[in-house]
Amino acid sequence: MKRHLLTVAILGGLIVLLVLVNQWLGIRLYDRIATNLCISLVLVLGLQVFMGNSGILSFAHMGFMGVGAYTSAVLTIPAQMKGMALPDLYPFLQAVQVSPYLAIAAGGIVAALVAAALSYPLMRLSDAAAVITSFALLVVLYTVMTHWSQVTNGPRTLFGLPKATDLPLAAGVAILALIAALVFKESRTGRLLRASRDDETAAAALGAHIPSLRWRAFILAALFAGVGGALWGHFITSFSPKAFYLKETFLILSMLVIGGANTVTGAIVGTFIVTIAYESLRGFEGVLNEAKIMSNPVIGLTEIVLALAMIAVLALRPGGLFPTREIGALFGRKKTRQENAG
Amino acid sequence: MTFTVQFLIDVLSLGGAYALMALGLVIVYGILKLVNFAYGELIMVAGYAMFLMGGSGLPWLVMAGVAVIMAVIAGIATDYVAFRPVRAKSVTAVLITSFAFSTLLQNAALLFISPRPRPVPLPDIFSQTVTIFGAITPVRNLITIVAAIVLLALFAWLMRRTVLGIAMRAAATNFTMARMLGVPANLIITSAFAISGFLAGVVGLLWIGRIGTVVPGIGLEPLLVAFIATVIGGMRSMTGAVIGGFLLALIDTTLNYTLSQELLKFRDAFTFSLVILILLWRPDGLIKGPASGQRT
Amino acid sequence: MLEVNDLEVRYGAIRAVRGVSLKADTGELVAILGANGAGKSSTLMCIAGALKAAGGSIRLDGQDVTSANPEKMVRAGVATVPETRDVFPDLTVTENLTLGSYTRRSDRAGVTEDRERMLALFPRLAERAAQPAGTLSGGEQQMLVIARAMMSRPKVLLLDEPSLGLAPVIVDQIFEMIRTLKQSGLTIVLVEQNARKALSVADRAYVMRLGKIAASGTAAEIGAATDLSALYLGG
Repeated sequence: MKRHLLTVAILGGLIVLLVLVNQWLGIRLYDRIATNLCISLVLVLGLQVFMGNSGILSFAHMGFMGVGAYTSAVLTIPAQMKGMALPDLYPFLQAVQVSPYLAIAAGGIVAALVAAALSYPLMRLSDAAAVITSFALLVVLYTVMTHWSQVTNGPRTLFGLPKATDLPLAAGVAILALIAALVFKESRTGRLLRASRDDETAAAALGAHIPSLRWRAFILAALFAGVGGALWGHFITSFSPKAFYLKETFLILSMLVIGGANTVTGAIVGTFIVTIAYESLRGFEGVLNEAKIMSNPVIGLTEIVLALAMIAVLALRPGGLFPTREIGALFGRKKTRQENAG
Repeated sequence: MTFTVQFLIDVLSLGGAYALMALGLVIVYGILKLVNFAYGELIMVAGYAMFLMGGSGLPWLVMAGVAVIMAVIAGIATDYVAFRPVRAKSVTAVLITSFAFSTLLQNAALLFISPRPRPVPLPDIFSQTVTIFGAITPVRNLITIVAAIVLLALFAWLMRRTVLGIAMRAAATNFTMARMLGVPANLIITSAFAISGFLAGVVGLLWIGRIGTVVPGIGLEPLLVAFIATVIGGMRSMTGAVIGGFLLALIDTTLNYTLSQELLKFRDAFTFSLVILILLWRPDGLIKGPASGQRT
Repeated sequence: MLEVNDLEVRYGAIRAVRGVSLKADTGELVAILGANGAGKSSTLMCIAGALKAAGGSIRLDGQDVTSANPEKMVRAGVATVPETRDVFPDLTVTENLTLGSYTRRSDRAGVTEDRERMLALFPRLAERAAQPAGTLSGGEQQMLVIARAMMSRPKVLLLDEPSLGLAPVIVDQIFEMIRTLKQSGLTIVLVEQNARKALSVADRAYVMRLGKIAASGTAAEIGAATDLSALYLGG
């Protein structure tokens, strides 16, 4: 118990520190980066809840982020703007306008409900079949988002979301997500699921019904994704379905893999590292573009570096930076050792 | 009559391309159980190789040959970059590295070439049409059908009549036992990736011939097609992959002829829901693959 | 011919084989006996290169081949028949045999000749030459894997539980075949639970218990000195 509290304290402290440093610096650019980082934390922690505990790679995560973002958008775009932003909207939704905070929660719940309804039968699949179905699910969600113009404005950009997300809110949600991810990991469901990750047959012999365990993790992951998507929507205030597809999947996945998918600590550290690297590289691309070193605009360099980093991590340290132990346990162990020595 | 011929040519030419795409994916999956997410980028590589040779004045067939060779090299590179470093660690790790390699190749194209579509040199014959039994058909559809027949026959010969092919089929059911007979693992794996790249290269030329341009994201659609076709056809059966390709072409063409424009937009959603349903019903795909070497 | 010294094999923390030494001279048939889980198969698979040795050494004709990979062992002249009796079920009997000769595939005439010889030795297989191997009976599959292993013209044949799960009549045939192979001058290491059968063809035998060699001697000595039924119980 003590080491779990220590983990929460250290990782939560890291997030609080981010907020404080940002407040102290007071630079707008850093404010944007820090807020995006906190939103990414929610998304990556969500992916960790499913992938880390079940050991199954899921591509569908970003699809649920989109579900959350669009749900919250439909609920919050002011009635007088809906005529322009969503010309084809169903009449009964036209007058709806709720508080963004309520809508963010609703975004998470709708994503979780959609996940619950769609995913149960998928959870008994493993290996390649599981990956391809989750990939197929992402394509289905993306296709629906791109063409269901009544609620998404089709492939065009949807605008007019009220700006409601700021750094303290995003940081607060990230800390809640951190606690929820740890609690789930140490819950009976989480423990059984992790046992099934290492040995499916043995866990089944313990009486674990693996599909329903995975299902619970998947729903919780979708809840995180939905909330993260809604938070992001109210931060950026306009987006199109393209924001919830493969490119973003790659980014979120790289954060989790580099940090270590099996631990909450890994998810958080990975998100910090990749965000910092990402923003620095983007900045570097900008500098190159300013200097006009190449005839074409420099794009894609960031992704190339991240892809190489991901392959390198998986080859040299397959479990990521934090493969098995949470940071609290690592510190706790060190302390006990020192006490023994002293 | 005219309609039947038109429909038949459409299904066969689309199906031929789909079958080759599926075969290239399944040859690697069958042996290594690796879903190669970077498969679509092999097609992209062939396309950009054509673009880069565009102004060279070489005969088209020479350029096409070089483009296919580049796709083969990219296929073998997948083995060395994405597969070998993490081999035997976990299925998930290999999936992620192949996904990362796909991102790497796409962004390399973005960075070093351009995000915008680039023209690909095509021989005149690709844009000509002929009339068969009253149906007006682009010649490239007939080329696709012929190419598919030739390549499938060549592939069947390779797998049935050569020692390497027999060894690859054996490795697909029981890799360890194949090694215990002296079949070198690395040779089999490299061959699988090379054949995958070869099929992707040829199919890439035919596929890009429809549009005439290449963009960094061009590989996504063939990858999705190959996924669906292999899932329909059975993920470990090479015959199944071919049948799956033609079935998918039949479904797609039928939907194109029958669905309204409004519903046609959701075609991908329909076909991928179908994929999910098939996998739920039969996790190994619709058509049963080879047995897994169990004792009888 | 084959010399194993102080071999260790581990599965994670479990030491399945702990310091096993054995040898087989040219043309000799050596049996390894013991109960389930005594470490017989692990020893054999480690010699075959399918398992990594955690310690000790394996020498073939004086050459060190410890922890060589399986394909290298075949090239060095060691053929293996694992107890899982792995025919390639979708390949025909002929194709299975062709694969057995993979390491000498350039010698086409020799391969064809060997294949004819094997099909003559196993008439049952000749009748089914064009059938997928998965359609064969258990006994026929066992014959096929042995014939397939012989296609590489090995110096040493490693046989793992050839009688497992087969009817007594078939077991007699299989052992008849092993005797024929031995007469051709082949060195054979035979792992068996059916101790009586194994001792009837073996020159010498080792008895394994809990990952170690518990007894060794000529087949006659082991047969006389050991309570054979105790071997099954692991006593």
